[in-house]
Amino acid sequence: MKKKNFSYSLVLVLMTVLIHSCTKLDSSFGGSQLEPPTTGGVTNVAPLLRATYNDLRDPFQDQTGMWCLQEMSGDDAVGPTRGGDWDDNGIWRVLHSHQWNADHQFITNNYNRLGKIIFDASDLLRFNPTPAQAAQARFLRAFATYSMLDGWDQCPYREPNGAPLDNPKVRKGQEALDYIISEVNAIIADLPAATNPAYTVNKNAARVLLMKCYLNKAVYLNRTAPVHAPADMNQVIALADQIISSNGYSLTPNFFDNFAPTNNALSSENIFTAENIGGSESGNVRSRWFSTLHYNTNPSGWNGFTTLSDFYNKFDAADGRRGQAYPGVTNVSGLRVGFLVGQQFDQNGVALKDRKGNPLAFTPAVQLKETGANLEVTGIRVIKYPIDYTSGDNVNNDYVYYRYADVLLMKAEALLRGGTATAVAPTTAIAAVNMVRARAGLTPMAGVTLDQLSDERGKEFYWEGMRRTDMIRFGKFLGARILKPGVSDNKYLLFPIPNQQLAVNPNLVQNPGY
Amino acid sequence: MLLKLLAQRLIIVLVIILGPFLANAQDKTITGMVTKSSDGSPVAGVSVIPKGSKSGTQTDAAGSYRVSVSSTTTTLVFSSVGFSNKEVSINGQTVVNVSLENAGGNLNEIVIIGYGSARKKDLTGSTSTVSEKEFNKGVVTSPDQLIQGKTTGVQIISSSGAPNAAISVRIRGNSSLRAGNEPLYVVDGVQLAGFVARPVSNIGASIGNLPEGNALSFINPNDISRIDILKDASATAIYGSRGANGVVLITTKKARTGSPTIEFGSSFGTSKVSKKIDYSSASEYRAGLAKYGNTTGDLGANVDAFESILQKASSQNYFVALGGGNELASYRFSLSYFDQKGVIRKSAFTKYNADYTGSFKFLKSKNLSVDVHLLANQGQEKIAPIGNNSNNIGSLLGSALQWNPTKALINPNGTYNIGNVGDDVNPLAYSEYYDDKVNVFNLLGSIAPTYKFTDWLQYKLILSVTQSTGSRKQQLREQLNIQDISGSGFANVSNAQVITKQASHTLNFDKQLSSNLRMGALLGYEYQQIDNEGSALSGRRFTGITIPYYDALLFADIGSRVTRSTLDPSVKLNSYFTRVNFNLKDKYLLTGTFRADGSNNFGAGNRTAYFPSAAAAWNISNEDFLKNNATISNLKLRVGYGITGNQSFPAGSALQRFIPSGPGQFSQVNLQNEDLKWQRDAQLNAGIDIGILKGRFTATFDYFDKKTTQVLAQQVTPIPSPGISFWVNLPGAEISNQGAEIALFGTVVEKNDFFFDLGVNATIQKNKITGLNGPIQTGDINGQGVSNAFVQLMTNGQPLNAFFVRNYRGINPTTGQAEYDEDGNQSFIMGSGLPKTLLGINSNLGYKKLSLGIAMNGAFGHKIYNNTLNTILPINNLGSRNVSAKILADGIEATSNPITTSSRYLEKGDFLRMSNATLSYKLGSLGKAIKNATVSITGQNLFVITKFTGFDPEVNTDKNLNGVPSFGIEFTPYPAVRTFLVGFNFSL
Repeated sequence: MKKKNFSYSLVLVLMTVLIHSCTKLDSSFGGSQLEPPTTGGVTNVAPLLRATYNDLRDPFQDQTGMWCLQEMSGDDAVGPTRGGDWDDNGIWRVLHSHQWNADHQFITNNYNRLGKIIFDASDLLRFNPTPAQAAQARFLRAFATYSMLDGWDQCPYREPNGAPLDNPKVRKGQEALDYIISEVNAIIADLPAATNPAYTVNKNAARVLLMKCYLNKAVYLNRTAPVHAPADMNQVIALADQIISSNGYSLTPNFFDNFAPTNNALSSENIFTAENIGGSESGNVRSRWFSTLHYNTNPSGWNGFTTLSDFYNKFDAADGRRGQAYPGVTNVSGLRVGFLVGQQFDQNGVALKDRKGNPLAFTPAVQLKETGANLEVTGIRVIKYPIDYTSGDNVNNDYVYYRYADVLLMKAEALLRGGTATAVAPTTAIAAVNMVRARAGLTPMAGVTLDQLSDERGKEFYWEGMRRTDMIRFGKFLGARILKPGVSDNKYLLFPIPNQQLAVNPNLVQNPGY
Repeated sequence: MLLKLLAQRLIIVLVIILGPFLANAQDKTITGMVTKSSDGSPVAGVSVIPKGSKSGTQTDAAGSYRVSVSSTTTTLVFSSVGFSNKEVSINGQTVVNVSLENAGGNLNEIVIIGYGSARKKDLTGSTSTVSEKEFNKGVVTSPDQLIQGKTTGVQIISSSGAPNAAISVRIRGNSSLRAGNEPLYVVDGVQLAGFVARPVSNIGASIGNLPEGNALSFINPNDISRIDILKDASATAIYGSRGANGVVLITTKKARTGSPTIEFGSSFGTSKVSKKIDYSSASEYRAGLAKYGNTTGDLGANVDAFESILQKASSQNYFVALGGGNELASYRFSLSYFDQKGVIRKSAFTKYNADYTGSFKFLKSKNLSVDVHLLANQGQEKIAPIGNNSNNIGSLLGSALQWNPTKALINPNGTYNIGNVGDDVNPLAYSEYYDDKVNVFNLLGSIAPTYKFTDWLQYKLILSVTQSTGSRKQQLREQLNIQDISGSGFANVSNAQVITKQASHTLNFDKQLSSNLRMGALLGYEYQQIDNEGSALSGRRFTGITIPYYDALLFADIGSRVTRSTLDPSVKLNSYFTRVNFNLKDKYLLTGTFRADGSNNFGAGNRTAYFPSAAAAWNISNEDFLKNNATISNLKLRVGYGITGNQSFPAGSALQRFIPSGPGQFSQVNLQNEDLKWQRDAQLNAGIDIGILKGRFTATFDYFDKKTTQVLAQQVTPIPSPGISFWVNLPGAEISNQGAEIALFGTVVEKNDFFFDLGVNATIQKNKITGLNGPIQTGDINGQGVSNAFVQLMTNGQPLNAFFVRNYRGINPTTGQAEYDEDGNQSFIMGSGLPKTLLGINSNLGYKKLSLGIAMNGAFGHKIYNNTLNTILPINNLGSRNVSAKILADGIEATSNPITTSSRYLEKGDFLRMSNATLSYKLGSLGKAIKNATVSITGQNLFVITKFTGFDPEVNTDKNLNGVPSFGIEFTPYPAVRTFLVGFNFSL
C-alpha cells in the first residue's frame, strides 16, 4: 500500500512537471521578425527602402504591368491573338478595343501592385528614417499615387496610426492631386541634387512628377472636357526651367543609348530610372523584347505584341527613332532596334524564316484576331530597349521612367497651352520640339500645333508607358483607330475600380459607367 | 548500405532492451487448434491471449497456434471477428483445442477511437475500420492506398500515376476554400504534421511547379495492422482544431508473445501505362497535313515520342518481420525494402523501412507497462520533369505529346535532334538532360508508459518526436534548347527539415458502477509543436563541364547564384480534453467530449478554441422484444453532434511580420489580423446499424450534415497593403456538406469448402457554399494562348470547385471556328469537380486453399476539365506539333481557331474501376521449417469503364490559383498504370 502511494505520487509529480514545462504558447517567429532589422538599437531603414524601390519593378517593367494598360489602350501597341496563341481569354484584345471591365486581371493586379508601393513607403516612415530616406519613400508613394490618380481617379490610403483592419480611406480627383503636389513640395529639399545614378530619386525626378501633375491637372479635374489654366502651365514651365538650369542633362546623341544595357553610363538624359543589375537582380524589362520578337529570332521571342501601321506611318523615313542598326545587337543577331518591318535577317545577312518555312517578313497590317496563313508574321515589331545578350535572365538595362526629352516637350506643351515664355532656353515651343527632332536626325519645323506635338510625343515616347495619359490630354484617346472602329464611351477615360477591391473596401465606389 | 546501418543500430537497441527479459523468461508453451463449431473447419487469425496478458498470438491458416504462457497463467482467451469470445482454462495441459461459435456479427470487436479504444457495440459515432486482411493488395506505397474504396464517405484520389505520387483524401467532402482538406493522421497515438521534409522543386524556368510527394509513404504498409477512420464530429471533436476533416487512426503491428517467429514476404510487379491518349501517329499526322494542305509539316520520320519516354517499369518488395517474447517483454521488428520504377524514364521510388515495437511490463504488480515504437525510413526518388503548371515546353509529358511524329528524335549521326531556343523540346533529350533526386529520411520515435492504478483507472503518457529531413538536387544541362538554360545550365540544391513533438497525458477511468450502469471517462492534456525549415542554393552558367551541375555549384557564375533559407514560425498547440461515456443496460449509450485548444497560430484575440460534442445510441436489439430474435441480431440507432476545427493556415498569419524579400531588402509580409481563428465545423450525424442472421448480413446507414463557418480564406487585402491577400475568417460564408452513406456486407455463401462474401458501400454527397462576398477564382489553366485563364469558381449557391467556362456550341463547318454562347463573352457555371456519388465494391471468394479478392471503386456525377486536350494537342499545332487524332480525323476545325478555355474540354468524370483482384493459394507448411506459405497474383487497375478521354478519370492535377485549391482538372499528369504482381509469403 505504501509502495502504491509512492508510485501514485511519483506519477503525479512527473505529470505536473511535464505539464508545466510545456504550457507556454509564446510565439516564435521563425524566419520572420515583428520589427524591421536594427543597427545599434535603431531601425535600419535601408532594406525597407530598397524593397520599396523594387516594389516598382512588377507594375512598371512587366508586360502585364502599367505598360500594357498605358500602351495597348492607346494607338501605338496591340496584343493580337495569333491562332492558337495569345488568346488569353481576350485579356490583351479588350485593352486595345476599349472593352475592359472591372474584373480585368491586369487592371486589378496593377491597382494592387501600386497599393503595395504605397503601403511599404508609408510603413517605412514609422521607423525614424533619415530625412533623405523619408523623402525618397514619400516620393515613391507620390509616384504610385499619381499612377493611381491617372488611371483610376481613386487613391486609397491608410492613416499613419490606423489599425490594420481599418478600411483604407480614399482620396479622389483634386484632393488626391493636391496631396501629391504637397507631398512632393514637402520633400524636395531633402532629396539629393545629384543626377547620377538616375535610379536614386533626386530633386529633378520630383520636379518631373510635379510637371506631370500640373500639365494633367485639368484632366484630373474634368476628364471629358479639361480646361488648362495658364497658372498651371506656368508651373510646368517654371519646373522645366529649374531642371534645364541644373545643367545636369542633355539629349543623348543616340536615342537608343537611353535604353541600352549600360544606359546608366551611356545616357545623359535619364532623370529617373529603375536599377537592373545584369546577371544577378533585375525586373522583367526584357519582356519588352521577348513579347514582340518572333520565335525564330535570336533571342527566341513569344511572337506577341506589335505596333500599328497608322502609327508607324507617322514617322518620317529619316527619323532615327523609327529604326536603325545598333552595336551589340545587330552584329550579334541581325536584329535592328526601333521598328522591325519586312524581311528579317540574322547577323550574317541570311534571311530568317518563320516556323512554316515562309520568309520571316513582318507585315504592317495586323488584326486583333489573326486567323490567316501568315498569322505568325503580321504586325510591326518594336525594340525600344536594345537587347542585352550577355547578362542571362537578369538583364542590365535600367528601366526608364523619366527623361529629359519629356521635360522639353512638356515645356513646349505648356507654352502651347497658354503658359508664359521665360528667359530659359528653349524659350519657345517650336525650339523645344526642334531640339528633340534634331536628335532624331530630322530637320527643324517652322512651327508646331498641339496635334503635331501629340504626334511628336508619340514618336519620341512610343512603348514607354505614357501613351494613354498623353492621348487623353490631347483629347484623342476615345477616338476611332484602325483596329477600334468606333468612338469609345467616356467611361473608358478611367479604368474601373477592380471588383475585388470594391468587395473589401466600402470607401471605394465604382467609377461612372462601369 | 543504409538499410544495413539501420539494421545494425536497431539490433543493438533490441539486444540492450530485450536481453534481460528474454533471459529471465520462464515460459511454458501451449499449442492447439481452433475450429468452427458449425462445421469443424479450422479458423485462421483467431487471437489467443493468456488471460491477464495484453499480447498473445494468432492462429495460422490451418487454425493451429502456439503460445508461450507464464507459469501463473490459468486461462486462455480466444477471440475472432464473427465469433463469440471463449475462455478456456488450461488445467495443466499443453494442448488446448477449441471450437468457436458464430457470434452476432463483429460486435465485440474493439475499434480504435481518439485517445483510446472501445467495443464496437458501445460506439455512438460514425467510424469505419479496415483491418489488415481487407487491405488493398499490390504495389502499395502508402497507407491511404490500403483503404481506397473500402469505406463509405472517404474519397481517395491519387494525383497521378507517379511513384510516390501525392494522394488526396477527402472524408465527407470538401469543406475548405483552402488547401487543408486532408484528414488528421494519427499513428499509434502520434499525430502527424501532414507533410514531410521533401523539398519543393526550385528549378523555375518553364517547368513550373513539380507535384508534391506522398506525405505518408514513410510508413510501411506491411507494418500496419488496421486503419480506423473517424468521420463524424462526435468521434473527431476530441481532436479539436485538427479534427474537422476527419481523423485516420493507423495502428501498427504490435509486439507478440510466444517463441520467436519470422515472417517473410516478397513481391515482384510490372507496370504499364494503362491508357494512351489520342495523339496522332505519324501516318495520321501525314493524312491530316494532306487534308489541310500543309506541305512543310512532314519531316519524313516516323516516331512515337510518347513511347520514347517510357521505360520498363518493375517493382520489388521484400519484408521480414520477427517477433516474440513473453508476457513481460515482447517485441516485433521488421525491415523492408521497396523499389518501384515508374513508367516514365528516370522516375523511381525506393524506400527502406525499419520498424520496432516493444512492450514491457514493470513492477511486481505489473501495473507499469511501457510501449516503445521506433520507425525509421529512407525514401529516395528520381523525378521526371512533369509539372503541374508547365508552359507549353516545360513538361516532359507535354513535350512528348506535342512532338511532331514525323520529326526524328535522333539525328542520323546519333545525336539528339535539338533545335534552337523556342523550338520544341526533344522529349528524349529532355529526359536525358534533366536530373532530379530527392532523399528524405524520416524517424518517428515514441515511448508510451502506462500505469494502472486499479482495474478501472490508468494513466498513460505518450512522448513522441518525428523528424523528417530531406534534400533535393536538380539540374538542367546546357544542351537543352530552353530559354535561360541553353548554353548555361541550371542547378539547384535544396534542404528541408520538419520536426514535430508531442506529449499526451491521459487518465482513463472505466468502471461498472452498478449492474446496469457502466461509466467511462478520459481526461487529457496534450502539447504539440511543429517546426519547418528549408534552404536552397541555385546557380547558372556551368558551360562546358561534365560533372553534375548540382555537385559543382562553386563553378556557377557568382551573379547567378541565389541563396535562400527559411524557417516558418513554430506551430504550438496546448490542449485539454475530456470524454465521458455512460452505458445503461447495454441499451442506452451516451458519450460527451470536450476539448480546449490553445494555439499560437490564432490571433491574439482568439487564443483558445473550444470543441464540444455529444452523441447517443440505442441498442434496440438488446431490448426485450428483440433480444432473442432469430433474424435480427443487431439493431442500433446512433445520433451525434459536435463542433470541430480546422487551423490549416500558415503559422504567423495573424501577425504583422517582416521577412527578407531579396538581397538587402526587407518587407512586411502580411496584413495583421488579430481576430484570425480556426474554421468551425458543426456536424450532425445520424446512423443505423443492422445485423441479420448473427451478423451474416450487416448494413450501416449514416446521414450527415456538416456546416462550416468562420471559413478560412486568403482574402484580397484592401489596398494599400503589404500583400495581395491575407488570412481571414470570412464573415457570413458557409460551406455545407450533406450526405448519406450506405455500407452493406454479406456472407452470401458459406459452405464447407466454399465461401463468398460481398461488400458494397456507397456515398451520396452534396456540397454548397453560400455567403461569399464575391466569387473566388481557381483552376489555373496552362499552355499557349491561355495565360491568366481559369476554369473554376467558388461562388454562392454552387458546390466548391464549380466549373465556370464558355459554353461551346461546336465548330462552324463553314469558317472552321468554334462558336460559343453569347459569342464567348460570357462564362457559365457548368457542373463541378466534386463527385455526387462514390461507390466501392469488395468481394472475397474462397474454395479450399484458393481465394480470390476483388475490389472495385467508382465515382459519379462530376466533371473533369481536360487541360491536356485544350492546350497540348490543339489543331493550331498542325505543321509544327502533334494534334489530337480525333480533331485531325474530323478535319473541320480551322488551324487558326484560337485556343481558349470552354466547355468543349469539360468531360464527364464518371467511372467504375476494377482496382484490384488478388488470387492467392495457400500452400501451408512446406517441409518442417516453412509454415503459412502463400503465393498470390494481383492485378491492379485491371480496367476502367469511363467516357473520359484523358489518361485516367481519377486525376487531380494541382491547378491552384493564388493558393485556392482546384479539383478535377487534368493537365499532362504522370500517366496512370496497370500493374501485375506476384507475391510469396511464409513464416518460420
